[in-house]
Amino acid sequence: MNPALWLLAPLAFLVVIGPGRRHNALALVAAATVEVIVATVIAIGDVDTGADDLLTTDATARLFLLVIDWAFVGVVVYAWNRARVDAARPEASARRAYLGIAFLVAMNVVVIANHVLLAWLALEVTSLTAAPQITQASLPGSRGAAWRYLVFSIVGLGLASLGFWCLGHGGADGAHASMRFDVLAHTPAPADDPWRDLGFALLVLGLGTKLGLAPMYSWLPETYDEAPAAITAMLAAVQFNGTLVLLVRVLQIPGARAGVAGDALLVLGLASMAVSAGSILATRNVKRLVAYASINHAGVIAIGLGLGGEAAYGVLLYAVSNAFIKAILFLSIGHIEQHYQTKQMRDVGGLIKDLPYTGLFLMVGTFALLGFPPFGSFLGELLILSALAASGQMLVFAGFCAVIATTFIATGRSVFPMIWGESRIKATWHRQRLLPHLPKLVLLIALVMMGLYLPTSVNTLFREVAASMGSR
Amino acid sequence: MSTALVVFVLVLLLPLFLASWRVSLVGLAGQGALMAWLAYDRDGVTTVADGVRLVDLGLVRTLIVPVALYRVMAARNTGPRNDVIAPNLVSWTLALTAVLVGFRFAAHMPLPDSERPFVAAAASALLLAMLVLASSERVFSQVVGVFRFENALALFELSRPEPEAEPAFRVGLLVVLVVTLALARWYLRTLTPAGDAPAPEAS
Repeated sequence: MNPALWLLAPLAFLVVIGPGRRHNALALVAAATVEVIVATVIAIGDVDTGADDLLTTDATARLFLLVIDWAFVGVVVYAWNRARVDAARPEASARRAYLGIAFLVAMNVVVIANHVLLAWLALEVTSLTAAPQITQASLPGSRGAAWRYLVFSIVGLGLASLGFWCLGHGGADGAHASMRFDVLAHTPAPADDPWRDLGFALLVLGLGTKLGLAPMYSWLPETYDEAPAAITAMLAAVQFNGTLVLLVRVLQIPGARAGVAGDALLVLGLASMAVSAGSILATRNVKRLVAYASINHAGVIAIGLGLGGEAAYGVLLYAVSNAFIKAILFLSIGHIEQHYQTKQMRDVGGLIKDLPYTGLFLMVGTFALLGFPPFGSFLGELLILSALAASGQMLVFAGFCAVIATTFIATGRSVFPMIWGESRIKATWHRQRLLPHLPKLVLLIALVMMGLYLPTSVNTLFREVAASMGSR
Repeated sequence: MSTALVVFVLVLLLPLFLASWRVSLVGLAGQGALMAWLAYDRDGVTTVADGVRLVDLGLVRTLIVPVALYRVMAARNTGPRNDVIAPNLVSWTLALTAVLVGFRFAAHMPLPDSERPFVAAAASALLLAMLVLASSERVFSQVVGVFRFENALALFELSRPEPEAEPAFRVGLLVVLVVTLALARWYLRTLTPAGDAPAPEAS
């Protein structure tokens, strides 16, 4: 049996979930724990059984299995803690647990899929299961946000499916190209095939929509803002990286960057960074600020992917770091929202005194978000910038630096007063316990390790994936 | 170009000029029925995958989608008028241009002659669906846009026979379509026509 099939094991937890049961949120934690154990064994144990028609456990799959499953555990432990404190919370409902498990398994299938249609179908399932979770009965606006998320997901994934159709078209000779990623990755690029160019362009546009790249990003700030913190973290840290895997697999196909797709990634990336910088300057809502920062990160990643080659290792470091950063930040913002009942930055101050753990994680997460050393995001950004300079794209380089500087100032100006400023709301808080914050601590340790020292087995994964993206 | 494809293009265009939600739903049903006929006429039903595709096109897209949406709209006592694109000369010109662009696109791409009319109609359908989605913030129009978009993708897939189509994938696509319909129906029922949640009732 293919060991990757063990990733379907969490489906067994569906039988212990039910309406009115007290342990629905805990069942989701158990399912995620099983998944992360299987994923870690596959990734660190170097379980590569090769690829068959449907599944693969290549380096790309193994690296991103680690990322999405560890981030997901952090998210569900947070949700479980909310449900434990207040059993009436939606996190305790059977519906959330069913949808959560379906999302988790589908996301893992996206990562290990070797067949184009299977990957696409699984990503579609993640969108269909995420949309109802965005809706909060207490927040009427969340329903509209969920609908717009769904529409953009359908359109983005539809364009991506059309892109795959164009790739498979194979020109005028009537031949069908393979639908296996491993075969496509080793098929030489034919000279001058407009269907392939169109296919890659549609894939960049479609998957870019799911990643929140300009111009199809308008769903992202609204969705991230309106969704519960755990779901926002799930979308930003887990679904983002599942979509990224699909884009990485597309870019592993020979000739993918040669046509319009490579330039499109650079242009969309820079446009996304510019849009996000302007929005970060304008917003006063902390959740929206991190949402706009996510668009910024998507832009940096798109630029790195467009460059390929020597930027590949940096892109991977940056993408993996950002999965953990976004999980840490959105979950911390969830705690802030829970205590202060507001997301307005000017209403929150003195976090480090009021909620020390939350304040600490928000502070460290913001430093990582801004690309400070010693975090992996610093090293990743540096490698992308150096590849950009080496490629001679000095205009993009200058734009990149200007936008990063603006983002740096705008984010620091807004977030740091929340941490060290004066408390705006005078109240006595319960002393914070460390236990609910432990998953964030684990993600933080991983984040620091990516900047300082990576164990050989994990570093080998990074290098193998980077090599498949053109790095020497 | 076959008569069915000519009618398909007409079915794409006409509901855009007639501002009625019922006509929009009839348009969706017409697209489904014509695609089912095109698939049956060319391939028949020789494999399980063909059968699933016929259920998808002939049953779900032709009947279930329009009826499910009709029931929501009827239950809300919606007035007859609904513009899926803005009722002005600019929008109508854009709609006609989208069809022209779709046909020019098919004419320029390297394609076997048998596929060219399919790709022309599908590209027109896709551009018109994008126009509908971009034109209106009203939830019903967006739902119609989403299903027009899905139909356009189905017509692209129909343009070339797939000898190795796996029935399991076809079933997967069908399930995704049905779940999309269920969610679209729920949002159509629970959101105001403008896309906001209804204000909470005063106690």
